Amino acid sequence: MNPSLDQRESPWPHRLAVALVCATFPMIWIGGLVTTYGAGMAVPDWPNTYGYNLFLYPWQTWVYGPFKLFIEHGHRLFGTLVGMIAIAFLVSTWCCQRRANLRWLGAAALIGVVAQGALGGLRVLADEVQIAKIHGIVGPVFFAFTVALASITSRRWQSAKRSEERQLGAIERLGVITTLLVFLQLVLGAQLRHLSPEAPLGNFRLALFFHLAVAVALLAHVFMLAARVLYSHRQESWLARPAVGLLVMLLVQIGLGAGSWVTNYGFPVWLSRYDFAAAYVPVADGAVQAWTTTAHVALGSLILATSLMLTLRSMRLSSPLSARFAPSKPATSPSQRILSMGAGL
Amino acid sequence: MRTILSGCVRFTPCLALVLLVGCGQSDPPQFTLDMVAIAEKQIPANQQQKVANILEAMFGTPDDPFVLPETGLDLAKLQMAAGPVKSDQFGHETGLYRRHCAHCHGTTGDGLGPTAMILNPYPRDYRQGKFKFKSTERPAKPTDYDLETVLRQGVQGTAMPSFALLPDAQIDALVEYVKYLSMRGQTEIGLTDAMADLSEGEELPLTHDTLVAEILAPVAESWQEAPDKIIPTDGDNAKPDMPKAESIAAGEKLFYSAKANCAKCHGWSALGDGQTNDYDDWSKAIHEAEESLASDVNTLNEAEMSAEEREALARHVALLSSALATDALPPRHAIPRNLRQGVYRGGRAPYDIYRRIYAGINGAPMPAVGPPFPGAPGTLTSDEIWNLVDYVLSLPYEPISQPPRDQRAVSRAQL
Repeated sequence: MNPSLDQRESPWPHRLAVALVCATFPMIWIGGLVTTYGAGMAVPDWPNTYGYNLFLYPWQTWVYGPFKLFIEHGHRLFGTLVGMIAIAFLVSTWCCQRRANLRWLGAAALIGVVAQGALGGLRVLADEVQIAKIHGIVGPVFFAFTVALASITSRRWQSAKRSEERQLGAIERLGVITTLLVFLQLVLGAQLRHLSPEAPLGNFRLALFFHLAVAVALLAHVFMLAARVLYSHRQESWLARPAVGLLVMLLVQIGLGAGSWVTNYGFPVWLSRYDFAAAYVPVADGAVQAWTTTAHVALGSLILATSLMLTLRSMRLSSPLSARFAPSKPATSPSQRILSMGAGL
Repeated sequence: MRTILSGCVRFTPCLALVLLVGCGQSDPPQFTLDMVAIAEKQIPANQQQKVANILEAMFGTPDDPFVLPETGLDLAKLQMAAGPVKSDQFGHETGLYRRHCAHCHGTTGDGLGPTAMILNPYPRDYRQGKFKFKSTERPAKPTDYDLETVLRQGVQGTAMPSFALLPDAQIDALVEYVKYLSMRGQTEIGLTDAMADLSEGEELPLTHDTLVAEILAPVAESWQEAPDKIIPTDGDNAKPDMPKAESIAAGEKLFYSAKANCAKCHGWSALGDGQTNDYDDWSKAIHEAEESLASDVNTLNEAEMSAEEREALARHVALLSSALATDALPPRHAIPRNLRQGVYRGGRAPYDIYRRIYAGINGAPMPAVGPPFPGAPGTLTSDEIWNLVDYVLSLPYEPISQPPRDQRAVSRAQL
């Protein structure tokens, strides 16, 4: 155990951060299903549900009613659960630990939940696809943020030892670029998913082209990132596991992307020489279509979170441990400047 | 400097997000005019507005549809299919077309939805009232059951999905809405044709006789007559009592003969590798518009004309060129079906294949070989069509290495 560690550090901030992660990930799935099934407007009012207070809406109507109502109202109820956990996390950061920056991160988590809820509400009140798009982008970003909180509040984070290895700088740089690429990919994915029928001819093709191009760039970066980590830190499971996980998830994600395309639009015409492709018919709102597409969305969020976590961990290992309690000072590398708050934890 | 750099790094993702997402509330969806046809028919801007106004008076808007009694359409069904995507706590859903169809077929039903450009084949443009897979005579409209079948079964090997999981009421509403968009599109064609026929200074009379009796009613009647135009597969058209092998052999002979001429497009191997440079009617219209544009540009550059004529032609070229760039999909060749895969987009039942051969495929190069109307002589008799049906259905099971009879004969002659 590192001697500088505060032995009285409460485990509650970390526990609640993990709970926040565990509650937010299903939210991504439920939100994804809401979009997949076109259930965004299944409840026309907000914050009430058909005039009822959110918590007082008759549960029999919710559970035994139409599926679209079930997932939309469920999405809202689950959102309040995430909000309550975020409040508990904020309280724990103010009461159970002494790191000032973590307190502000706790406040940011609560603001994030409230803002995301408000975006969801605005999407309903304005029935506006552009807001749905932003809501769909902010969700994965918030999930990645909760994963970062869980990582930052962990014991392993606090006991991490600084390393002077040059490889860590390269891992950091690759991590930052990969995370930005995943974010860009999410933005492009949202263009494809929250598509307005009024969008100009060609917009979808453009977004699809960039979505595929960024996927190739991402694959190359994740390969390089995993190779770097495994080359220099194979024994460091704190880095090696997320690096390998990132690579595996990305490969699965490419498969899910192809699956989403096929289950929504059929096989490309150049495969029509094969009987299976020539005879295939997508089934609208079918389980395969809905779950493949939603899994693609959810795994995208998980990839963003893993990439961010790996980047933060590599930064943590390459930053002076003594900076934990030191007053903030100018960081030395570009990535440290970007995420100086995380490095200072 | 550091602050600026730091700010750039932090806000670049937000900037990208705003740029890509855009901001501001979207306007309510509107039906659009066929700008390629408008440019070709040289309808001036004020007349275009008039066409749009008349269409709105007759058919309403995407959010608030309206129909005249002459159409025979059910407004309640249209209201269920139209408008924004919504549902209530009792499971009633509206906005079905926007949720399930508009991304490909477009709000106007012009086949110009945002995904259309990357789909192959392109989504159907309903505005001409031409539908490929139906049980009726070639120029006739499909029946409700035909449209319902396409919706329920989808179209194999294309992006057109099966909506078999949708409740019957929703399928009915979508069928009605497709008919509505098609009638609206055909009415638009009628109106622009009427506008193009007007002499200078003449105005289109806004009367019931002109707009409804002359333009809308014939369109609506063609839809209402569809059930009477179903090609029968019984009575005189019933399958002949003939041994299967004999029928297949007769069908094979016909397939490669000049009479039926199937091999010309479907190829000697029946792999769909015959004539592959033809267009369907939708692509042909765009191809012809492109050729007309090229010819006009040539005239503009080379021919001598007065300044006034040059200005008018330049205006026409600019309008058509802009319409082709924004309101049209690049023409694609119609590829004949590979008959050895056993995949028949219009249905695989023998009577489906019979009707496909009898009436051809409306809008596609596949010709009709049956009589143009009941009682008239066709290229092939009903029995011959049934022979072809048997042969076509046997093709997936026939060894491809066995060359067809006529081709074998030609090869021997060459030796």
